[in-house]
Amino acid sequence: MKIDRRSFLSLGVGFGAGIALSPLPWKLTDDSSIWTQMWPWTPVPERGESRYVNSVCTLCPGGCGISVRKVEDRAVKIEGQKGHPVSNGGICLLGLSGLQLLYGPYRVKYPMKRREDAKRGQGKWQKISWDEAMSEVAKKLGDAKDKTACIMDSDKGTVPQLFKTLLTGLGSPNFMRTPSVEDSFELALLKTCGYPASAGFDLENADFVLSFGAGLLEGWGAPVRTFKANSLWKDKKVPVIQIEPRLSNTAAKSDKWIPVNPGTESELALGIAHVLIKEGLAKAEVSDSFKKIVSEGYAPDTVARITGVEAGVIVGLAKSFAAASKPLALCGRGKGATPISLNETLAVYALNALMGNINQEGGLFAVPQPDYIKWAKTNSNASVSKLLYGKDASLKALLVANANPLYSLPDTQAVKTALDKIPFIVSFSSYMDETAQYADIILPNHCYLERYEDVPAPAGYHKPLIGLSRPVVKPQFNTKHTGDVVIAIAKAMGAELPYDSYETCLKETFGDTWEAFQKDGVLTADFTPPAPSGKIELNETSLKPVALEGESSAFPLVLVPFDSMRLSGSSIGEPPFVIKTVDDTILFKNDICIEINPKTAQSYNLSDGKYARLTTPKGSAKVRVHLYEGIMPGVIAMPRGLGHTPGFTGNDKYLAGKGVNVNELMGSAECPDGLNAAYGIRAKLERA
Amino acid sequence: MKNEQGKPKKYGMVVDLDKCTGCGACMVACMSENNVPFKADESNKRDSITWMRVYKITNGKPFPDTENCFLPRPCMHCEGQHGHSPCVSVCPATATDYSTETGIVSQIYTRCFGCRYCMGACPYHARHFNWWDPVWPDGMEKSLSPNVSVRMRGIVEKCSFCFHRYQAAMDKAMMEGRKELEESEYQTSCTQACPSGAITFGDLNNPKHAVYELKKNPNAFRLLERLGTNPKVYYVSSREWVRRAGDNYIKGEWENKQNAKK
Amino acid sequence: MGTEEKQIKHAADHAAEGAGGGPILFFIIGLAIALGIGWIAFPKALYSQKQQPFDFSHSLHNGLVDNGCESCHFFREDGSYAGVPKLAQCIGCHEDVQGSTPEEKVFVEEYVKKGKEVPWLIYSRQPDCVFFSHAAHVKVAKMKCEECHGPIGESKNLKPYEQNRITGYSRDIWGQNIAGIKTHTYDRMKMDDCADCHKERGVKASSVQTERDACFVCHK
Repeated sequence: MKIDRRSFLSLGVGFGAGIALSPLPWKLTDDSSIWTQMWPWTPVPERGESRYVNSVCTLCPGGCGISVRKVEDRAVKIEGQKGHPVSNGGICLLGLSGLQLLYGPYRVKYPMKRREDAKRGQGKWQKISWDEAMSEVAKKLGDAKDKTACIMDSDKGTVPQLFKTLLTGLGSPNFMRTPSVEDSFELALLKTCGYPASAGFDLENADFVLSFGAGLLEGWGAPVRTFKANSLWKDKKVPVIQIEPRLSNTAAKSDKWIPVNPGTESELALGIAHVLIKEGLAKAEVSDSFKKIVSEGYAPDTVARITGVEAGVIVGLAKSFAAASKPLALCGRGKGATPISLNETLAVYALNALMGNINQEGGLFAVPQPDYIKWAKTNSNASVSKLLYGKDASLKALLVANANPLYSLPDTQAVKTALDKIPFIVSFSSYMDETAQYADIILPNHCYLERYEDVPAPAGYHKPLIGLSRPVVKPQFNTKHTGDVVIAIAKAMGAELPYDSYETCLKETFGDTWEAFQKDGVLTADFTPPAPSGKIELNETSLKPVALEGESSAFPLVLVPFDSMRLSGSSIGEPPFVIKTVDDTILFKNDICIEINPKTAQSYNLSDGKYARLTTPKGSAKVRVHLYEGIMPGVIAMPRGLGHTPGFTGNDKYLAGKGVNVNELMGSAECPDGLNAAYGIRAKLERA
Repeated sequence: MKNEQGKPKKYGMVVDLDKCTGCGACMVACMSENNVPFKADESNKRDSITWMRVYKITNGKPFPDTENCFLPRPCMHCEGQHGHSPCVSVCPATATDYSTETGIVSQIYTRCFGCRYCMGACPYHARHFNWWDPVWPDGMEKSLSPNVSVRMRGIVEKCSFCFHRYQAAMDKAMMEGRKELEESEYQTSCTQACPSGAITFGDLNNPKHAVYELKKNPNAFRLLERLGTNPKVYYVSSREWVRRAGDNYIKGEWENKQNAKK
Repeated sequence: MGTEEKQIKHAADHAAEGAGGGPILFFIIGLAIALGIGWIAFPKALYSQKQQPFDFSHSLHNGLVDNGCESCHFFREDGSYAGVPKLAQCIGCHEDVQGSTPEEKVFVEEYVKKGKEVPWLIYSRQPDCVFFSHAAHVKVAKMKCEECHGPIGESKNLKPYEQNRITGYSRDIWGQNIAGIKTHTYDRMKMDDCADCHKERGVKASSVQTERDACFVCHK
């Protein structure tokens, strides 16, 4: 048979017809279209039964109740917990993105030791066992003895108490708390009310709010509660007056924004006090010494010159403040990440005291410090300014837990120099934060969603309250509860502790109330606040506005950091979702933007989007210029919370290397009372 | 399905701009609820996927008379004329659709082939294109919710008024032998999270729902209303310049409108 | 090559030598090969076969429970459907070996004692883009399980799980018939099957685009 071209063609046509008559082309078309609709590498989350677990968020001092939605053993969403006394169903964006911290690349997954051939901060680590890690720490602390120090973000609750006990056993009083506005409040209340207390504000019942720079909508106090109070004020038409040099979100949402020369809030408060006293508007008595100082030195005209606020406005403020039935004066810059001067705190306290609203509904409460921990008597008293900024180089070991001093303290270089002098640094961080990167050994704590912890005294809350943070998911990595680690180390060193594990310690601390505490997630206590004494003694040696570092001739501008809800700015870095919400006028690609008034910018020949070099006595940074009419001429504002350094995983491209940490440019302004009241620093700007 | 008043449901939102603080909780609540992806650099807002985005607007006056306001922008779920919202009208793939049952504009990811006509048609920038494959760092896929499909590269996505929550709530209602939902049973993630209580969500056609009255506030307005998009998201602001910013007016037009109201 | 085919070939050769027979023969050969590929080889190649972890008899269990399918495949309180039972439900009866089948022994020893979930392969698993409300179909429309799932309750063994190599779907979604022909309501579970039934039953046409029921009814 001859096989010719026609035969091949016929074969082909027959084949084609056969294929067309078979399901192959139609099915393949269908299947490939399905394939293109759902590529196999797109993740498909597993289904399952869903339920909610309640806990308390510890990402900031707010202590909000959270309700975590789980699908089988995965946590898939964090929501606000309805009915929680602090937050009642609300939640902030950081709390919402907590799962990205739990499951994220920032976690320290096992105990690690700095490799011997590596310098600190080089990111070269060696995995070690928990036993090795703990015995090494016990040995080193045994050598360091009373030259051991510890720094934490809070000094309340069982975990700080365990650290204090460990230090006391070593003969060291060196327990430090990261400085914040709480320091100013506590000091002021101790001086005025005479007992150790935290400041609580009955925001919900106030009917006139005078805020001296408090970033009510920037994360001040317990943020969610403050937001709720703000909405309540809107409903009840409660006037909110915001005093600060920058049009912050708080100022933007207030009824009146009063721009004031940076750092002169204290003088303005005293000016208002002057009017209240002079015009006989005061409703309660305060110390004569205070009245004398205020009457003599703070007449509206004088204050107007210092603050830049017209005398008439000052008088008007005083009158409307006094006309309200429950006026409330607030202070604390931004979120309150830095202390303010004692005099400023006392001046604002005085406004409340003059209106007779100390420990009264709608007023300022001196909430007694929680004292439910009965099992240890410790003696801890140390300050960051002495141990980390001072000339004292005697520390031999530093324990860092729930804190990130290398990021969150001003003047990063000085902190680094101080850490360099300490031969042994232990980090207990769950995340590879800046200080953990600089440690010699890391004993990673469970993440906050994996552990039990008591969370006393939500910031700014006006009633005694303790929240219970509890495990929502099983520990994801080879981590250990810091409470357990401290107990084990203390025992290894022969300290006497009545507990073998943190959980027993926690349970027994709460004793009979534990069960109810477990069930409700909160414990409240009654307290009858004592009548206020009216005692207010300003520190007369520092009755001048806080002086900033730098000569005004060389550094003609003032740089102030500003807070935003969208940047946590605390020891914990922002998860990807939070960074995603940051405006491109704050972070542009990897460049930080500074806010500057167009008038000021003009004198430097800078326009929007141009790059400049910003220099302060402490450091220098390349910045992108954002022209903003909401900032006083002569002032530059820079966001706090950017400029994190890359962690060891190399996988944190979502946070690291973005912008500049404003603390690298900040300095200090020590007040006689030991508080670093620097609200900014002098700066200069050059076109880049 | 009709509500008790016999009218079809029309889910919508009323946002109180006096209460909105620009904190961004709604944005993250949305991302976390809806498996929204993220990438290393999100500062280019044109390719940053944010179903809910809070805009900062200003009155444009110099210091110290400057004022700011924040404006959260989900998908407006435009009704247009009889459900012909701008995006639905142009979609060649039937990937986006208007439901007369709920008034929700759906986006079916498997149906979308990424022509982006809808993005051009949407005057609110409420639609986002997946220029890249979504990638979660190792382990973070654990936080993904099974209630919302993860989107792939090459398609458009947008706010769904958390429709999966409606589906779940309906399941529960049907289980209990009900055909109607209580107002509280179906709330979007942003509404639920907003710490200021600025967002109210519900059936605009149902007098029992809070939005029914809220939308009648004399200070209520919608964005770019004159385009005929008939959006279902209302805003309320006591500040005139904010209300005026909701649309483009020629000289004198706004004033005439105000006078006409009086 | 069978005798018959040889004969055909022979005849074809003859024909080819004659006038014009060749092309038809080659056409038929081509057609036959293609039909063979399309109808027989292709479906085999398209689906991979996986065995279930161990065998299971629905009919045996069905005879022992009181509440039919819902005894094990139940609704959760929130209205969602639990689907294939978890270990926790099976343990109620199978804490220890009850009967004498080797499958049960495997189950108890390998899974119950070790507290490990059985990695069942689910025949009727819809893709991720689908939101299927069992409540709407079972509780409201009062449909029987069989209408979509067929007489699975009477099966004595588990068939192999066949997975489409391109889409990853279970074969039961497209149906066993490769041509997609269906004779029973439960033969296929594709979107068109849902849509047809919805149309037939007059599920409200709420879609502006299609004037049928809207996409968001079954998609997520």
